[in-house]
Amino acid sequence: MKRAPKPMIDRYNWLETIALYLGIFVFLFYLLSPFIEGFLVSLKPLSLLFSSPYSFYPRNGSLDAYWSIWERVPMLGLYIFNSLFISAIVTAIVMLIAVPAAYAFARIEFPFRGPLLGGFLAVNMFSGAVLLIPLFRLMRSLGVLNTYFAMIVPGVAFLIPTAIWLMRAYFLRIPKELEEAAWVDGASRLYILRRVILPLAMPGITVATIATFIGIYAGQFVFALTFNSKSEFAPLTTGLFAFFGRQEVIWNELMAASFVGITPALLIIVFLQRYLVAGLTAGAVKE
Amino acid sequence: MRLVPKLLAGVAFALAVMPSLASAEDKTITFISCGDKMQPAHADFIKQWEAKNAGFKVAPEVVGWDQCQDKVTTLAAAGTPVGLAYVGSRTLKQFAANDLIVPIEYTEDEKKSYYPFIVETVTTDGKQWGIPVAFSTKALYWNKDLFTAAGLDPETPPKTFAEEIAFAKQIKEKASTAGFGVVAKTFDNTMHQFLHWVYSNNGSVIDADGKITLDSKENLESLTALKDITPYAEEGPTSYEQNEVRAIFLDGKLGMIQASVGAKNLLKDAKFKWGVAELPQGPSAKGPGTLLITDSLAVFKNTGVEEQAIDLAKFLTNSENQPVYEAQEGLTPLRPGAAVDKLVAEDPNWKPFIDGISFGGPEPLFTDYKGLQNTMIEMVQAVVTGQAEPADALKKAAADLEQYK
Amino acid sequence: MNQSRGATIFAYCLLLPAILYIIAIVAYPLVETVNLSFTDAALKPTSNWVGMTNYSKIFAGNFSEIILRTFIWTFFSVAIKMIVGIFGAVLLNAAIPGRALFRILIMPPWVVPMAIGIFMWGWMYNGQFGMISGLLQNFGITSGPVAFLAHGDSAFWATIVTDVWIGVPLVTLYMLAAMQSIPKDLYEAAWVDGASRLYRFRRITLPMIVPALLTISMLSMIATFNSFDIIWILTRGGPSGETTTMIIDTYKVAIGSYKYGEGAARAVMICIFLSIFSFFYFRVVSRITIGESK
Repeated sequence: MKRAPKPMIDRYNWLETIALYLGIFVFLFYLLSPFIEGFLVSLKPLSLLFSSPYSFYPRNGSLDAYWSIWERVPMLGLYIFNSLFISAIVTAIVMLIAVPAAYAFARIEFPFRGPLLGGFLAVNMFSGAVLLIPLFRLMRSLGVLNTYFAMIVPGVAFLIPTAIWLMRAYFLRIPKELEEAAWVDGASRLYILRRVILPLAMPGITVATIATFIGIYAGQFVFALTFNSKSEFAPLTTGLFAFFGRQEVIWNELMAASFVGITPALLIIVFLQRYLVAGLTAGAVKE
Repeated sequence: MRLVPKLLAGVAFALAVMPSLASAEDKTITFISCGDKMQPAHADFIKQWEAKNAGFKVAPEVVGWDQCQDKVTTLAAAGTPVGLAYVGSRTLKQFAANDLIVPIEYTEDEKKSYYPFIVETVTTDGKQWGIPVAFSTKALYWNKDLFTAAGLDPETPPKTFAEEIAFAKQIKEKASTAGFGVVAKTFDNTMHQFLHWVYSNNGSVIDADGKITLDSKENLESLTALKDITPYAEEGPTSYEQNEVRAIFLDGKLGMIQASVGAKNLLKDAKFKWGVAELPQGPSAKGPGTLLITDSLAVFKNTGVEEQAIDLAKFLTNSENQPVYEAQEGLTPLRPGAAVDKLVAEDPNWKPFIDGISFGGPEPLFTDYKGLQNTMIEMVQAVVTGQAEPADALKKAAADLEQYK
Repeated sequence: MNQSRGATIFAYCLLLPAILYIIAIVAYPLVETVNLSFTDAALKPTSNWVGMTNYSKIFAGNFSEIILRTFIWTFFSVAIKMIVGIFGAVLLNAAIPGRALFRILIMPPWVVPMAIGIFMWGWMYNGQFGMISGLLQNFGITSGPVAFLAHGDSAFWATIVTDVWIGVPLVTLYMLAAMQSIPKDLYEAAWVDGASRLYRFRRITLPMIVPALLTISMLSMIATFNSFDIIWILTRGGPSGETTTMIIDTYKVAIGSYKYGEGAARAVMICIFLSIFSFFYFRVVSRITIGESK
């Protein structure tokens, strides 16, 4: 079957196309150039790691580091799995809790709405390092130290406000008329939330899901370090610091391990990003 | 909804891997060690010790170098200290002042078995607070090829501050390469590098009575020398810390650096000829000096296994076991003896690292050692960037240090 | 439908899990932190009440300089993040081949553990070995190595560039999702009427993404204000304190020295500053956006 031709509105003349690709190239270069550097480092032997004058191509380059990381830190695979596992659980819990909350903040007018929202945001205003010891004592009394929960429990707490805040804007944009039409038709509030609102808010929910997942996967390292002493449960972020030696950092292996470590997360995002496209807003209701 | 069953399965899995409550049969000594894995020597010794001490088990945890100090301290502050911890000796005074660790009893013989000054690095208030486990000293490395290119004799390293500055100048001018690696980044080893100058000029920061001795004629000479050598250093010294400066040297783009033993292993594949010598001495020096940094094993209070922890620590570091550990880790030996002589015989490059001990000095022991670091770094940076004159910077720093004692 | 008593009950039901969870996990540490801020808690096992001493200590010294620097740093970082983010979103929103791939390619700065990303930037900035200094020399733009992190000004901007780099993927993604949910018929109607691309962008896209922009800029501002790792790893607040923001200072003076009481007071101070600032920011921008879209 022949593909439908692109709508006229989406056609660009050649000048615009070049400008677009150039813009994307510059943008991507900014975002990816440090990784070029990092990748080059992962290819070099440790004593020749740094050399001047600067040259793009590594001399004596090899992929040795990608094999030696598994010898030096044999549990690296487990660390990656732990990160994925913890991130998945945290994301699931956060989204379960935050989606309804975001909807409530966006759509329903209830007393103390403003201060409550502010209160949630205030959680994010404290740097984790300050709350460390009281939180440690709390985790200890909950008996979750040195388990997966030691990282899941605080992780969820600190990501809920962000998720709520991110999704609220998307819920705000869904036309009220849609809800009201369903309400008038006799749908219950819960039904409206599930069947009407959620599909339309998918882009926002997807972004919040990705943001939460990465928030745990790539951040929140100080909790994992302090609350957990068992290396079986250690996530990637603490595991990577095993490449810091007594006298020097094994940079090439650290970089190799990092690249290996982020690949699963990137794959997950590839999978999730198709939900970024809006569902059914086109032509739904004329404003 | 398939999400919920998945979620429940995840929670069940997590619960299942929660460790079962340990049996109360054996008493456990928790031991935090720094690195990426337990050093094989220690792993062996721990097994031997456990065999000799029935009823006690050691539970080691390995934490990365960057974080282990903080983790040990956080656990202690939260009321759940570990039994034994690998810490930098500079932190012992703070732990002691806050009543978190137990003093260690040493016999006179035990004390004498170490190199001079090592016991000092763990002493405060007349008592010893840690069991030394690792030791490092510094020496001068120089690039013989660059010396030749600058018209200097490649076999003659500088012996005094004045020579060091002059050689650096010559390398900069004649060989168009930075002559000396100045370390001035906001990292703790900036203070260490300055202490090289201090201790190779008979200076000190704090004396045995706790009096701040930073503002002295000797230290003024040292700080001025550092200022004088800065024009011949690499561009932008405030952005390089010790290992980065070492990387520039490894690249052949620096005439001289002051570094630890680890550098000579990295230099094996170097493309230039190099040498190691004692640190140059200042005008007030009495002999070769260097910075003596030790790491210790500290025993925390209120764990119920303090005595056993001390016993374990002494066992790990006794005269038979310690050299095995040191050989594996490439550390300067803690005690003179046959092992050291063999070391120097096999690789004469070890000699400057040992000789400097005689007039060396420790990391100053302060209650708030981070405050000490911040103050010293600020002082060095102010002088290196030309924002302050050495005399003024010294006075200010000495005054600031009072609150951290 | 959404203003009745029934609605309120429904709302609180939806909110209950979130509220309960946060209170259970965060309330105790927060209260404890405020408590600690009035004591001289440090490493020693016991602590004493010292009232407002910690707070007055904050204002001794050059704290006003640090506050100002924090605001300026945050302002520029957030502003640049928004601009670059919208720029990126516009590019990725365009219907050109390869856009799915590009969208994945913007992710790595965000997915990589933050510390690692910062190390990579540290090398880029390295005067002797870094890419930026190296390329500048190779192309003859500078004659010697440029140590970006060695001098106050360049270090200030270098840390901002890195902070922007870490934040841009999320901003881009968020704004892209916002742009994607603008109904296409709005564009088509304008196009039929002969509106140019720029006009369509100015009059349709921009106004419709303002709520999203407000949301993400607020979040970004709160996170950036407390941004610690970037400055810490790159410069530790140096050289000579020229990149020291409030959180870096807090760490250096208090947390790093395990002076928990003082650290708590500073954290509370930061929170107060942020709250006041956020409140006004929100009000002001809301007024602007509501004014425009009517």
